[in-house]
Amino acid sequence: MKNRLIYIIAIVLMAVATSCVENPNVTEDVYIQNPNAVKSWVVGLQRQLALTTNTVNINVAITSDNYFNNYSQYSKVFDMLQIDYFDTDVNNIQGDVQALREMAIYGIETVFPSDEDGTNEDLAFMYFCLGYSNILGGELFTGLPATTLGEVLDSEQTLMLAIDQLDEALSYESDAQLMATYHLLKARVYYDLGDASNAIIEANQALSVPELLFQVEFDGTNALANEMQNATFDALPNRLAPLPRLDFLDPKYYSVGTISTDQKSVTLVKAEEAYLILAEAALANNNISNAKNYLLDLLNLVNARSTAFVDDSGETRNGGVRTDYPLTAVQVRFDAMSEFRDGFVLDRQAGDVVVHTISGTSVNATMINNTTTVEEVLYLTYLMRQEIFMSEGRRLTDLGIKYPISQTEQDNNPNVSDAFTTAQIPSYIPVDDIDDFTVDANGNVTMSVDMNRVIIENRATTTTVPFF
Amino acid sequence: MKNKITLLKKGSIYTLIACLFINISFASEGYLKQQELKSILTILQGKYRDVDFVYNPKTFDGIIVSNFEFKEGEKLESNLKNLEKVAPISYMIDGNTVALRKKNTTTFQQSSIQGFIYDEVHVPIWGATIVVRGSSNGVVTDESGGFTITPETYPTTLQVSFLGYKSKEITISEPTEMLEITLDPNMESLNEVVVTGQGADVRKKRLPTKVTSIKGEDLEKISAQRIDQQLAAQLPNAQINFTGGQAGATSIIRARGVNSAMLSSTPIIYLDGVRLDNLNTQAQLGGSASGASMSALADIPMDNIAKIEYINGGAATTLYGSDAANGVIQIFTKKGGKAGTHLSVIAEGGVETPTTDYLHFDRTKDLLFRTGEYQKYTLNLNGSTDNDFGYNFSGSFQNSSGVQIHDQNASLKANIGTGFKAKLIDGLNYESSFNYVYNKYKRNRNGNQGGYTGLWFAEDGASSITGPGFNNRLDELTDEEFAEIKAFVDNAERLQDNQIVVNRFTTSQVFKYQPIDNLVFRFTGGLDFRNQEQINIQTNEYLSATRGQDIIDQGSIQNIQRTYLGITLELNGQYTYNTDDFSFITTLGGQFFRNRDHQVLYSGTNIRDGALSISDAAVKSADEYLVEVLNYGIYLQENIGFKDKLFLDLGVRGDRNPSFGEDIGTQYYPKAGLSYLLSSEPWFTSELVNSLRLRGSYGLAGNLPPAWAQDRTIDFTGYLGDQAAFFGNLGNDNLKPEKTTTVEGGFDVTLFNNRFNFSAGYYRSLTKDALFNVPLAPSYGYDGSQLYNIGEIENYGFELSAQVIAIQTQDLTLSFNASFNTLHNEVLDSNGAPAFNINGFSARTLQTVVQEGYPIGFIRGGYGIFDENGVLESTVAQSYLGSTIPKTFGNLGFNLDYKNFNLFATGSYQTGAYGANWDAQFRYYYGASDDYIPAGEIEANGRSNWLAFTNRFVEKTDFLKIRTIGLSYNLKSKNSGFYDNMLFSFTAVNPFNFVSSSFDPEATISGAAQGQGGASTGGISYATYSMPRQFLLGVKINL
Repeated sequence: MKNRLIYIIAIVLMAVATSCVENPNVTEDVYIQNPNAVKSWVVGLQRQLALTTNTVNINVAITSDNYFNNYSQYSKVFDMLQIDYFDTDVNNIQGDVQALREMAIYGIETVFPSDEDGTNEDLAFMYFCLGYSNILGGELFTGLPATTLGEVLDSEQTLMLAIDQLDEALSYESDAQLMATYHLLKARVYYDLGDASNAIIEANQALSVPELLFQVEFDGTNALANEMQNATFDALPNRLAPLPRLDFLDPKYYSVGTISTDQKSVTLVKAEEAYLILAEAALANNNISNAKNYLLDLLNLVNARSTAFVDDSGETRNGGVRTDYPLTAVQVRFDAMSEFRDGFVLDRQAGDVVVHTISGTSVNATMINNTTTVEEVLYLTYLMRQEIFMSEGRRLTDLGIKYPISQTEQDNNPNVSDAFTTAQIPSYIPVDDIDDFTVDANGNVTMSVDMNRVIIENRATTTTVPFF
Repeated sequence: MKNKITLLKKGSIYTLIACLFINISFASEGYLKQQELKSILTILQGKYRDVDFVYNPKTFDGIIVSNFEFKEGEKLESNLKNLEKVAPISYMIDGNTVALRKKNTTTFQQSSIQGFIYDEVHVPIWGATIVVRGSSNGVVTDESGGFTITPETYPTTLQVSFLGYKSKEITISEPTEMLEITLDPNMESLNEVVVTGQGADVRKKRLPTKVTSIKGEDLEKISAQRIDQQLAAQLPNAQINFTGGQAGATSIIRARGVNSAMLSSTPIIYLDGVRLDNLNTQAQLGGSASGASMSALADIPMDNIAKIEYINGGAATTLYGSDAANGVIQIFTKKGGKAGTHLSVIAEGGVETPTTDYLHFDRTKDLLFRTGEYQKYTLNLNGSTDNDFGYNFSGSFQNSSGVQIHDQNASLKANIGTGFKAKLIDGLNYESSFNYVYNKYKRNRNGNQGGYTGLWFAEDGASSITGPGFNNRLDELTDEEFAEIKAFVDNAERLQDNQIVVNRFTTSQVFKYQPIDNLVFRFTGGLDFRNQEQINIQTNEYLSATRGQDIIDQGSIQNIQRTYLGITLELNGQYTYNTDDFSFITTLGGQFFRNRDHQVLYSGTNIRDGALSISDAAVKSADEYLVEVLNYGIYLQENIGFKDKLFLDLGVRGDRNPSFGEDIGTQYYPKAGLSYLLSSEPWFTSELVNSLRLRGSYGLAGNLPPAWAQDRTIDFTGYLGDQAAFFGNLGNDNLKPEKTTTVEGGFDVTLFNNRFNFSAGYYRSLTKDALFNVPLAPSYGYDGSQLYNIGEIENYGFELSAQVIAIQTQDLTLSFNASFNTLHNEVLDSNGAPAFNINGFSARTLQTVVQEGYPIGFIRGGYGIFDENGVLESTVAQSYLGSTIPKTFGNLGFNLDYKNFNLFATGSYQTGAYGANWDAQFRYYYGASDDYIPAGEIEANGRSNWLAFTNRFVEKTDFLKIRTIGLSYNLKSKNSGFYDNMLFSFTAVNPFNFVSSSFDPEATISGAAQGQGGASTGGISYATYSMPRQFLLGVKINL
């Protein structure tokens, strides 16, 4: 009995000792050595593009004058233009922009060479992602490391990298729509760099696809919802409250039925941008007439874009800590010197509202036709930039604001000098008034400052209106 | 046959006495020609009523005594002498007891007493001294507690003594073979047997470290719903703080500081030698339930506990291997009872009231709280047939309605436990325990989860931005306005449906095999299986009510299941060997510990109200996490004693763990220590000092990194129907365990006839290669952080504890206990790595941070300076605002026994820590309060600078909390009625709090961010419920 028991115990112990446990995760080696790695990596890049778009979209909306944040779990300081290098959101934006870059580099250098099934189109997409990450890096940050813990490139140098990478993408791509997309992105980079002649060339090439549209898709059933849609429509109360004069463009994204299965795409590249670049370039050459024609063409395109009638009667978009404007159809004036105008704040209880899922603007042909000076046309150009790119993460670049490199990067990376740890907030930005407004006894709204006016008045600075 | 001779029925003697007084006319002085001996004794009993006559009536049957002369007025002894002359008896007087025996014709040399000496938990006492009173005849017990002594005459009185135990005198009337004597400890005893230190039994005096042991009876006195609550004020050198008042909330258990920035300071826990799950693998698919973490300590079985041993780190934990740096709690369950069958029934019930001391608005109480009810019923059946078989069964049911409206914190717990011990064959003993716990509790929303969250809504001013929006200064509302907000809250609370259900099964099987006297093998095998189910149901009705919108298609159910299976197997052998002056205890053992943590999430959205499972959802999704870890180690310990006064303790453990790669290899944890009983020296003859021991030790303990953390991985998820790959874990080939080296020294002294017991020690722990979760530079493109062995953490402090028996008479005993511990914690080195947050929020707001030169988890935020007008002049972001770790902490208590009454109280305190009042800061931000900040600033800048002066919201968190006050009366059965005794009790739980902060210094979101497994020091008051008060009446009936 005793001996038998001891034998049993010994066998049990040996069985346990020799048993082993395995890592339930896929290691890098296992991944690379198995077939079809490129396909999953390209899908991974598409997913990262969506993640990066979310992060950029929300934070740019809050930091700029477009939206005010009422949600306790988004940044409560970007609205006040308090942008610190130790801010977690600064770190998150840099992280998501650079994740796109690192994933693209890993795809090009490691995954693609190991998988025979990878195609040129796959490679082109990887280069596009690399280029696009550098566009975001150049537009949004004062500087960024070009490689992991690498030397810091300033925003111009970062943008220059994007040109080469988009050229690589073009060299591997054969799809006309995508090629036009890459050209338009190049036009954007040249615009950012103030290189009007190259920007015009690329913009015109992009317009070979007249209604060019490149969008990023979301997947609500896999925890990747369009966060801007969530913030402005799905989450109640709405997390973000629009600037009163942009109220009519909110929301851009909406859902019907089950939220997770109805996630609207966000536009990253669209033909409208080509007209805006061409118009500004024309104005830089003092060619008002051409500029107006570009804007009229643009207007036609905007009017051709699809819209939807949406029941937004559940909106609770304003409120929170901001003293807000009425939810009826009140009038708005762009600053104390302007006239009160209708149509900017919608009464969402009065019926379905028009939602501009791609582009919308308050500018009409008459307004364009009535302009006579460069300044007037330029003002409309920047107003249209703001309205057409609403909820697409673009406004910060027009304002000339850039984020600093994050503290975590500096703590890990000795190449980051203190010069890159301060945000770029141009002196012409009225920090306290950028999105402020007052409401009179009738409920009508007066904006404290017309930021598009401020932008064009400061067009001679290096931080905005690049062609001037 | 047991020694039942002294247990003769006094009751029958009294009856006889009564009869005799009636029937025998017995002159005041008389000469009895012929009389039965037993009748004479009855007469004597009647004459000397305050004396107990003890004898075996059977042996006196039929003895007739002639010519006994009774002399009235003479002393008893004189009359007994007369009786001895004429009757075949001998006698012995011991105080008020007279023992008589029949004179035997057998020789006294053959009439020895054989028996065993046990301690209070029935562990044999080796080395106890037995002396025949008034003689030099004495013996010492052997390893099994056995002894044989031969008195010259009978009856005789044996004096039994053992250091640290109350001496006992026992009068024996005749030889016996199976005498069992149990000694009771005299407060904390150095001679107490402990098994802490791995598997094998050893007396405390032989160990160079301090072991705290708490008896089951002492635990039973404390009314508690969970084990950490029961232990809260019981461990003199450890601190247990409750970071939330909801059922299942986490606690911070901390003894020797915080030696890891990666793991919580919760000790590892064993139940009868089997390792328990305490959630040290983090929840991966949702770390919290309704915004607050859950604790696996909340469902550890606690009805059947014989004793708990606690060691707080250092050399004491070395033999527990790679994750014992935070100390070890060992729980031992009852395996048997006294001879026969014993049944006890306990019923306890009363009211629970919310602790509203810390609420900012008086009306928050009306909004969210109510008085609740609590009840608990326990049934225990135990006994033993003889030495070979013992059993214990207990079942309990506990139910609390909670103190939050709409039963949102109701809980229910049921526990069934059994324990058995049996001698299978000679030398082979078997012990087993089975425990099953069912724990179900509701939990409403905590902190700020977006949307409506009760305390955040009411206390933090968020009512102004929630639902239709309210005036958030609750106490300024008109009755009508308050009625409106109350209706909103009532509805929002009513419609929440979140609950946690835990099913836990734990078993331990122990075989002890003793092939020869000096050698014992012990095999322990067992498992802990714990299934935790978190169900959150959000109905459209709830969403509509809290958002003020009609929502019809956003109802959802989320279910997170975590199934844990831990298997422990251990085999060790202990060999004891004695020479004249030396004693050796050699222990060699091996332990295997394997656990599997499987987490599954499944959720459904767009689900109709009323559905309780996701099967009816329009959209369903699922996720899974699986980790398996195997750890095995071999340990060797040598404990050498010299003349039972000087002990050298040496040991080493080697651990391997296949989950951590070949590069780590075998990890070794050595220890060495010395224990010196100065008072055992012959020259030590102090009248004052009863015992004095010096101790010192050195030892290593460790914490492992999470399994597979060294591997570089690719993760996958679905994206638009395709497989999307992305970077997983960055990996670190050089990852290894962090190791804590502790050097400590101290002394333990008992004074004044063992009535004053004092222990003092000093330790210094240094954690090298500390695992720091370094935030990755964003340029890596990886999300999150990576573990590196780059830190160095220092903890040092004094540990003092004292127990005093101030009064000790026959009827009255009054004792006090107190402990005082100091603590210094500092990150000495972080190898240049950036600071990282362990339990706060974003860097721009409020964090608890690990940073070189500071204590772990210090509060970091904006430090604002105001000008003479009270306007913010400047601010320094990310400033040090105070340590969340206390400088001193300890426990206090007293116990008063008066006849059958008992009154006791326990309490805990801490000083020198700080906490951030994040609630107040939000109140300021949302305009619900103007406190803390000068009016000038509010006038000039409104609330926009709210994060620039977090220092204004940081408060000292000194506290003294009375945990329990208990009063009981023990009613003993005078006749052999249906019960042996009944214990009536009244208990007040958490009755009094004395705190320096305006918030509850304990309810500070431990683990809210990271789950139980992460490092946490608390320190942020953020919409968290405090422990409720309880006022309970109880009755325990022993049958």
